[in-house]
Amino acid sequence: MTYLFIILYAITLIYFALSERTKKFIWLLAIQGLILFGVVFFSLNEIDIFDFIFILLETIIVKTMVVPWFLNKVRKHNQLKREHEPYVPVFYSIIVVILILMVSFLLSSYLNNGNMHTQYFTVAFTSIIFGGYFIIIHKNIFSNVVGYLIIENGIFLLSLAVGSVMPIMVNLAILLDIFMAVLILGLFINRVGDTFKSLKTEYLSKLKD
Amino acid sequence: MLSLVLILITAPFFVGIILKVKAKFAARKMPSILQPIYDVSRLFKKGAVYSTTTSIIFKIAPLVYFSSVVIAAFFIPIGSLKGVLSFNADFVYFAYLLAFGKFMMILAAMDTGSGFEGMGANREALYSMLIEPAFFILIVSLALFTENTSFYGLFKSLQISTNLSYILGLTAIYVLMYIAMIENSRSPVDDPNTHLELTMIHEVMVLDNSGFDLALIHVATWLKFSIYGALISNFIIQMEWPLYWQLGTYFLIQVAFAGVVGLLESFRARNKLGKNPQWIIMLSAIAIVLFLTTLIITKKIILY
Repeated sequence: MTYLFIILYAITLIYFALSERTKKFIWLLAIQGLILFGVVFFSLNEIDIFDFIFILLETIIVKTMVVPWFLNKVRKHNQLKREHEPYVPVFYSIIVVILILMVSFLLSSYLNNGNMHTQYFTVAFTSIIFGGYFIIIHKNIFSNVVGYLIIENGIFLLSLAVGSVMPIMVNLAILLDIFMAVLILGLFINRVGDTFKSLKTEYLSKLKD
Repeated sequence: MLSLVLILITAPFFVGIILKVKAKFAARKMPSILQPIYDVSRLFKKGAVYSTTTSIIFKIAPLVYFSSVVIAAFFIPIGSLKGVLSFNADFVYFAYLLAFGKFMMILAAMDTGSGFEGMGANREALYSMLIEPAFFILIVSLALFTENTSFYGLFKSLQISTNLSYILGLTAIYVLMYIAMIENSRSPVDDPNTHLELTMIHEVMVLDNSGFDLALIHVATWLKFSIYGALISNFIIQMEWPLYWQLGTYFLIQVAFAGVVGLLESFRARNKLGKNPQWIIMLSAIAIVLFLTTLIITKKIILY
């Protein structure tokens, strides 16, 4: 099952690089949430039952439903349909994803020891680096939030990779992080959208008190 | 030998089924499933007209294209039925046979001296170039997984190995299906029904071919579809099944494949021409993911 999740997660990252519609980003985030649910369900079985159920609910409710629902609301409020041309052509973005994937596979082979689940480390590392890349290449604040959530998903996977245990405090902190980020950034996006009638990041430099 | 016969039998009905499905979803009156066969047999009765600017290349190209596709069909096994020819690394030969046929068609298109056909040839060459890594990486990862390099051995040992082969198989079917769509100039990349030369890819290349030559090109396209359908069926048909059961599954998969192509064509908008290369390279990217995963599975990269 591990391999299936690795393949699926990597494919979602490739589709992130390929797609240009904001609705597709939201769908892909929901799918990533489902994949994380599967990962937790099948590989995190050494922790006690309360933590297990909590993490399962977190992935299925927060990551798969609440966050995409809220992002969709923000998208509709700002009438955002299509991402403007990113700074880097999509063709090169896909090649960059492949390169990041290869590097992270090689890196995890190099870092390999018994204490780590390096299988998940491969996609986790890719996801973190790709999230940063995603933020850099897009001009839109909405897409920057999506990139942030990709990084967050990568960190979730990384915490699975470091040990088969996932401390509940760490988990709560990540959860709080996501909530605050998505809520605050969502409100922020709405305000910016209402003021400038556009979500391009270049308008942000005009913001002065 | 039987596998070749099976591929030849299914080929003529493939496009008919696609047209039928498309007509059904567009709520049009459905053409007969044999309609493409009638069209082609009418073309076969006609002679070909050659432009005075063309040379011998234009005359032999359809024949070379057709024969290269027929020979490529020799290598495809179906379930426990071996292909007519089979040797180590035959998939390379298979891929380059198809590429050779395509190369001749591109030369022929350039030979006519028409600007439109040159443009079509240009696009066809670009897309074939981009799709080649996807096919090779896909087959090489399967070869790595099964430690076999001929089509027959590859599919044979894919079935006796563990459940992991299902994961690889599913991804492989997804990629192979889209490779087939691109190779046959179908929906997301090309549209066979378009009437504007500027947006055509494959059709514009064969604008000058007529009569017998055009019929050969049509039949070669059917055969290509059938070949890819047979390749896909190999992921599903198990060798220990009795023969009649294997044959039934084979025909079912071919019909389903044609149906899926028709469905995709009915419901999917065509890509913008500028976005085609990135869409095609996405298939290569998925194949690379498959390859990297195979490296872990086969313990070439050891991960815990």
